[in-house]
Formats: sequence, structure tokens, C-alpha cells
Amino acid sequence: MRILVSWLREFVTIDASVEVLAEALTMRGFEVASIEPLPPLVNATGEDAVLDLEITTNRPDCLSMIGIAREVATIYAQPLRWPLLDDPTPSGGNAGVTVTIEDTELCPRYVASVAQVEVGPSPAWLSARLKAADVRPINNIVDVTNYVMIELGHPMHAFDLDRLAGGEIRVRRARTGEHVRTLDGETRALQDNMLVIADAEQAQAVAGVMGGADSEVGATTQRILFESAYFQPVSIRRTSKRLGLSTDASYRFERGADIDAPVRAMVRARALLVDIGAGQPTGPIVDRYSTPRDVKHVDLRHARIEQILGTEVDEAFVPVTLEHLGFSVSPIERTKSGACWCVEVPTHRVDVNLEIDLIEEIARHHGYDRLPSTFPALVRPPVPLDAELRRQKLSRQILTGTGCSEAITYGFIEQAAAAPFVDQPDDLVAIANPLSEKFAVLRPSLVPGLVDSLIWNRRREHHDIRLFEIGHRFRRTAGESIAVAIVLTGGRAPEHWSDEVRKTDLFDIKGVVERLIEALGVTARFEPAAHRVLVPGRASVILVSTGDSANDNDVIAVGYLGQLAPLLATARGLPLAGDGIYVAELDLDVLAQVATDRTRMHVTPLPRHPSIVRDLAIVVTRTLPAATIRGTIQAAAPDTLINVREFDRYEGKGVADGHISLAFRLTFRAADRTMTDEEAQQAMQAVVAALESAHQAVLR
Amino acid sequence: MTARPTVDALRNEFRAELARVTSARDLQDLRDRYLSRKRGALPALLKSVATAPPAMRPELGRTANELKREIERELASRRVTRDAPNEIAGGVDVTLAGREVQIGHRHPLTILREEIETIFANLGFEILQGPEVEDDYHNFEALNMPPEHPARDMQDTLYLDGSIPTASDRPATLLRTHTSGIQIRYMETHEPPVRIIAPGLVYRRDNPDVTHSPMFQQVEGLLVGENVTMADLKGTLECFLRLLFDPDTQVMFRPSFFPYTEPSAEVFISCVFCKGSGCSVCKKTGWLEILGSGMVHPAVFDAVGYDSERFTGWAFGVGIDRVAMLKYRVEDNRSFYDNDLRLLEQFSY
Repeated sequence: MRILVSWLREFVTIDASVEVLAEALTMRGFEVASIEPLPPLVNATGEDAVLDLEITTNRPDCLSMIGIAREVATIYAQPLRWPLLDDPTPSGGNAGVTVTIEDTELCPRYVASVAQVEVGPSPAWLSARLKAADVRPINNIVDVTNYVMIELGHPMHAFDLDRLAGGEIRVRRARTGEHVRTLDGETRALQDNMLVIADAEQAQAVAGVMGGADSEVGATTQRILFESAYFQPVSIRRTSKRLGLSTDASYRFERGADIDAPVRAMVRARALLVDIGAGQPTGPIVDRYSTPRDVKHVDLRHARIEQILGTEVDEAFVPVTLEHLGFSVSPIERTKSGACWCVEVPTHRVDVNLEIDLIEEIARHHGYDRLPSTFPALVRPPVPLDAELRRQKLSRQILTGTGCSEAITYGFIEQAAAAPFVDQPDDLVAIANPLSEKFAVLRPSLVPGLVDSLIWNRRREHHDIRLFEIGHRFRRTAGESIAVAIVLTGGRAPEHWSDEVRKTDLFDIKGVVERLIEALGVTARFEPAAHRVLVPGRASVILVSTGDSANDNDVIAVGYLGQLAPLLATARGLPLAGDGIYVAELDLDVLAQVATDRTRMHVTPLPRHPSIVRDLAIVVTRTLPAATIRGTIQAAAPDTLINVREFDRYEGKGVADGHISLAFRLTFRAADRTMTDEEAQQAMQAVVAALESAHQAVLR
Repeated sequence: MTARPTVDALRNEFRAELARVTSARDLQDLRDRYLSRKRGALPALLKSVATAPPAMRPELGRTANELKREIERELASRRVTRDAPNEIAGGVDVTLAGREVQIGHRHPLTILREEIETIFANLGFEILQGPEVEDDYHNFEALNMPPEHPARDMQDTLYLDGSIPTASDRPATLLRTHTSGIQIRYMETHEPPVRIIAPGLVYRRDNPDVTHSPMFQQVEGLLVGENVTMADLKGTLECFLRLLFDPDTQVMFRPSFFPYTEPSAEVFISCVFCKGSGCSVCKKTGWLEILGSGMVHPAVFDAVGYDSERFTGWAFGVGIDRVAMLKYRVEDNRSFYDNDLRLLEQFSY
């Protein structure tokens, strides 16, 4: 709202400078975005300025000179001076128009009057004021309606009366298939829930939004009809949104106009018409207002103000402030429960319905800077950190510890980037009103975003990249879930003069995932499994057990890991022939079901007896999974076997084609004694025998 | 019998001799004795693997090779300093680059979010998370924003094409524009007193530019109880902002409007760049808008079934991206979502 200070001064005396005034308005909730100094306008003296005010949606009454003047009058305890509101034409006589409201719900009040006019330019002072308010002068008739809107806040419209068929106004809903050409030249298709102003035959205006071109006031217009109505806010907003048409009028009506303003605005417009010599009213004002609204009353307790604000506000301050703002305040009533006022709410304050609304008025004008600073009492013991948050925090610790940096990527991505990650295209959730194709669908996986971030870094001289993200994913059927994803590429460790550079491979990402899963207190199994985004043969599903037993029915997949299909990365712009990209993604919601809280662990007593280590190298067929061999070893060995892991793998010269040499290290320990070499030897013999019979393993 | 005794004995022997080395000449002799292909002890040991009993071979081969590499490494590191002045036998060049231990970096928005969480956890607040896709009721209606409310324009919303299932019986139809839904859900299931913060990603239909992003991180706070006042809000937020920025930060409260709070306040801090004297960042005002807050509107309490006469409360919301831009002096909001390692690696772990 642009407020011309010299215009404002017509309604209230302001002794303060423009800067001080701006600061005072800002501190009462009307932020002054800018102060534009102006040279004196016509009919004004001294320096002038335009204040550009941000008016919050709850205060449509302040989308006007009089509204701001009322606030200024309250700030400086000055009287408010209304413009002259004497109707230039006595009531009585023929109105010259018939007005019928067919839908009083969407239009509770319609005020009209007709006038004989001479269309021409407005006087310079009026045009200048409109321009200062950022309204384009059109002609003296239209300018009068706009002037009144800026001054009193109430939108009006002028029709060319001779263009209205039957010389009548019908306020009704649009008919199915009805069209109207609006003032901007567009032909608008109307829907039957939209309110129109029609003549005897057709719609002539979209009510409260924009007038029609057919009844536009132009150079040849001789008789006009002024409209000053009240329209239901929700209906105006719906119509304005649906037509994609927002105007000064719809902006005010959808926030809530003053139901008592139509007559006042009409009187002002008629007086102005006469004042500037633009015409003469030819009949009395017609006011269709069948069901007048009840006057709103709100009780305000003095003690409640302190309960909300935490500071006592002087009893005398309350009625004075409210009266300045246009409220009527009853004498204070003192009861057992304390002092109280009954406050009558003026019709321009559509935002005030409750006691708290009045307390806000008191707080604004009392000043937020005068509130003390206190601390709320702690009345309940604090609770421990939520388990899910703790797991996310721990995951971040582990992953940064393994050299991965955290990324945050957008929750919506391109359709093409998302599509490879779902089995069915309709499992993707599209955004109904996306900003662009780049943000078209909700991400079904965190991996595409991470791959894009990886490529971003690859193009900026980074080659060894380790990134992770913890975030939400979305699918049509499964809904929303929280996941962690990791991407690795390039060298396995930072380059150092003493070592050879070694490239990241699948076992690096597996190692990272194993660490993460261990930290969350979960035991996982890895099995080869094809995945649509991974290179065949370099893909694993990550399985966890939900029960204590090894029963396969209790096993669920928590995610996958492997080498990303290179085509997916090149499709996102990765230069060809780069290092492989290894990815993993785990569902944290599923992990949460099996995670154990390791902060509540108890230690295992340290072993009292030494362990015995034995190594074993065997030749087996190449396709035999290491996990199967480990299983055989564990099954054959006594329970003194506490650990078995492979430490060497060899294929090539000296090993038959299609075979590999695998070396295992077995660690034995007994809890109650020092084991002997013989015991270990027997165990090894049993293991070797089992391997020979189960896998035709040959000892090397 | 295992391969270990032989290999371990040789290792001990080598270490003892290495300790006695005092010159480059000694070092060369030692090298010849252990590694020379003809006379060296290691090549001899490796040859013996082939003739060892089969059960011993893998371990003997492996441990012998390990020892060979160890000896090579030891001798190489001594050789590096051979020509250095004031050569000390067995010394190394300590000015060579250390072996870099790779540690990843948390995202700056996470660092800041956790900092904020810590401050409020210390003030007794519980930290809650919630879904990013919401139903209209929990994002708007329960927050005193019925359909067609003009205030909905303040938060331009991204809607889903259709809906997706949620944990509740209301399917999600939009991306949350704030984390207030978490607070509504909490109040629906908990009686006062309430002391919670709700951090998380939120979405708005804003085209990305230097200061806007269609996705950003937010932390909202809510405190409800008996005798909770706006003065408490002021004291708590002043404390928070001084812990987050500088202890001498000036804090200003100014009236504003949000549908879910009344009275509402926008909160400003003295400009972090010019300390209040006026600069281009604060548009010469000396102040920076940092968060929105206010006393919880009775309509919100009505929606969750709280007695708005007995209980009062306050709420606030702060955008972490904006705080991060101010605190770390990041000029372009979009750079948080590029995940450029050159930016991420500037932040501590």
C-alpha cells in the first residue's frame, strides 16, 4: 500500500518527520518497505513522500488512507478527520435503476446510484494522487471510483448505464457456459459458482473482480451507474484464483471489506463527482441490504492481558487505545474475578472476533519493546533424545568417519532421473504444480540426487568422491520412508608418496555399509541379487533377520549395494570412461525395526585364556561363494572357533582354470582353559574333511 | 608345527641388526644380507616354501612375504635420509607429507541444525521429526488456515498429483510448507505441558535464486503450559539468538501476522555484517529479520482439544538456510544444495 503523506495529513495531524512516522508504523506492524521523497504535488505545500507499506493479510482495513490514518491517530493520540460525507443529492425520487440480488449469500449488500456525466480527464491534483498510489488515471469517472478505493478502502465500479440492457442490475451466479469480456480485453469462461453483475440479458462484470468491456465507461458515455457492494470473501478469492485474475478490488474483497462502507463510499464518490465537475447524481442511492449483520461484542479482561503478555498494562491505556482504533468500549466493570470491558467491534475490523484479537491491539500499541524478557518455568523433566534421531546422528558419525561427506539434495527431481529407480512408472509421485521439469517428481530414492552431486564434483576437479545423504523418499504405494544412501568413486584413500593409488571397488562400499550396520546393532547378510540400477554380477541385497532364529521367513531386505550401471551416470552427464561408481541405499525405517540400542549394552568380560590362530588355504571352484565356505567351516568346527575370515584370494598360474585359491584364518579360544595345539589340530582336521566332502576342496 | 618360529626369528634378527646400523655403508650391507637375490636370507626363506610340508606352505609363504615387504619398507625409509645433513642412522624426513586420514564433513545445514537442537535440548525441549508430505488438515486447517484463507498465499504450496498413504488415516496431498504439522500431531496425542522443537525440510513453490529455494530447512518450536507468556517467548528467543550468534547480539521484536499465532512477532537481530551501523545486507536498517513467532492462537488449541483459557503457549519458526547464509556468509542459497566438496570441506566435522 503506497501512502502519500500529504494525502494522509488530510485525515490526521502529524507533527513527526516522515522518518519518525515510518519507524512508528513499522513498530506497530505496518512495515515501511521504502520511503520515496516526492516534490510537492499540486494543491500541496512542503516536501512530500510516499511510504510503501506492507499490509498483512489480516488488515484489509489498512489498505486505505483512512485505515492508516486511524493507526497514526492512535499512535499520536490525535483525532481522526473523516472526509466530508454529505450526499450532494437529497434522498427520494426515482432511482433510475432497478437492483435485484438473486444470491444474498455471495452478495449480502449492493449499493447503486446513477448520474449524468461528462467524461474527460481528471483534474491534475487527482491524477497526481492516483499516480502516487500507483494507480493509472483513466478518465474522471473511473478515477473517482479508484480515488475512493484508495481513500476509504472500498472498491467501486462504474458502468455505462446506457449499455446495461433494461437499465437494470441483477446480481446472480453465472449461467453454465456463460462468457464475459473483461476490461482487459480477455474473454472469460465463467463457472456457475462465480458471481456476476448482469443486466437483463447477460453478465456485464465479474463481481468484485473486474468489470466488463461491453459496459465500460468511455468518451461517449453520458449516464453511469456507480456500484458499491459487499461480496463474500471466499467466493471472490475462488473466482479470482480460478480466472487467474487478481485486481485491487478482488485483493480487498477476498480479505474482507467493511459491510458498512458501501453507502459511505457511494456518498463520497457522488460528492467527488460534483466537486471535480464530472457530473451530477440524478437519483437517490439504492441500498439493497436485506439482512443487516449483528454488531460484534467482545469482552476484554484486564488480567488476561497480563496473562498473555507477561507484563501489566495500565488500566487507563486500554480503552483509550481501543477507542482511537474505532472500537467502542463500555465503562469498566469490576467483578470478583477482576476488571473487564465490553468492546464493540467496528465493522471495518473484520479480523477482530476474540479477546486475543483485542489483546494484540493493546500489545501492538503498548510496544513489544516494553515487554520484559523472562524464562518459562521447567515444569516437567526433560526426555531423552528420540531413538530415531539418535540413529541418524550415529549414522552421520560413522559415515563421516569412513570419509564420506554429507550431501543434502532436493526432494523432487527430474522424471528421467527417478524412473530407473522404480519398477512401475506409476509408483513415482508427480508434483501437480511443479516449478519446472527439474522438480517434477518426488524422489523414490536418494541415489539419483547423490549421483548428480557426484557428477557436479567430478566436473570440478574432484576425482575421489565419497558422499552420503540421510533423507526422505516417496512412492505411490509404499508412501514415505527415511533412508541413507552412499556413493563412492575414485581412489580408495588419499594419494600418498609411500603407497600405490588403489581404486575404490565394491568391497569399499561393502565395508562402509558393514560399519554402519554394526554401529546400529544389526547383523546383516549379503546375497547376490540383481538390481535395476546396478551392474549385473556386482550387486548385492542387504538382508537382516527380524527374529533370533536363522529362519529365512524372518529375513527382510533393508537395502542394496553394488556398482551403479555406468549408463545411468552418463545419462546424467558424467564424462565417459571414468572410474566406477559404487552405491548403497538402506531403509532406516526398516533398520529401526531390527536395530539394538547399543548405548544400553553391557560389556563381555575380556578373555582370560589365549587364542590359537590357524591358517588354511584351499582350492575350490570359482563360483562357490565365500559365505558358503565360511558356513561349512563354522558348522564343522567346535564352538571354540570364535572367528573365521578370508585373508587371501588367488587365481591364475598354479591354480586350475575355473578354480581359485582361498585362504582362511581361523581363531580358536576356549573360555575356561588354554587350548592345546592338539585340540586346534583336531578342529582343523574336521574342518578340512568337511570342506573336502562338501566342496571338493583341495588343500594347498 | 607352524611357520611362525622361523619367520619370527629372522624378523627379530633383522630388527636387532637395523638398530646397530650407524652409516649408509652399514645400511647397504644389511640390505645385501637380507634381500640380495643370491645371498639374501629372505629369498632363501621363500625358496624353502616349496619344500615345506603342504599344511605349512600357505602360512609360511604369507608370513615370509610379509617380512620381506617389512624389511624393504624399513630400509627404504632409512635411505630417504641418507643424503640429509646431520644424518642420523635410522632417521626419517619428518617434513614429508603425513598419510592423510580421510574424514567426511557434515553438511553445514546439519551442523547448524544440530547446534540449534543442542541449545533447545539444553533448555529442556524435546526434538521431534515428522513426515515431509502432509495432509491439508495438519499443514493448514488445524493452524487456523481454512481452505481459501488468503494467508495461504504467504506459503505457496506444492501439491502432489493425487495422494500417497501415510501412517494416519489422512492421505498426504502436499509437501509441507512448515514443520507445524509435527506440533499439531504432538498436541493431538499429548497433554500440556509441551516443550518441543521440530526441525526438518520444508517446501514452497519458490523458484530458486540467491535467497530463495523451493526446499529449505526449518526449526519450529512450541511451548505450552499454564502461565506461559509472551515475555517468556522474548526471553527464550533472545537467549537462543545470543547463543547462536554473538553474545552481544541485539534482538528486536516487531508486530506481524501469522494465522496460527496472536499476538505475532517478527524477530530481528542486529546486522551481523555491520553490527547495526547500516550496510547493503541489512538495507541500511541495521537489522536482519531472523524468525517469526507469537502466542499460539486459541483456534489452534481448539483444533487439538486444549483448553485455551487454562493453557497459553508460544511458537516460533526459524529458517536454517537463512541463518547459515548470515552466519557463514554464504552468498548464494543454492550452493547448499550443490554439495560442492570445496564448500563442504570448509566446515568442521
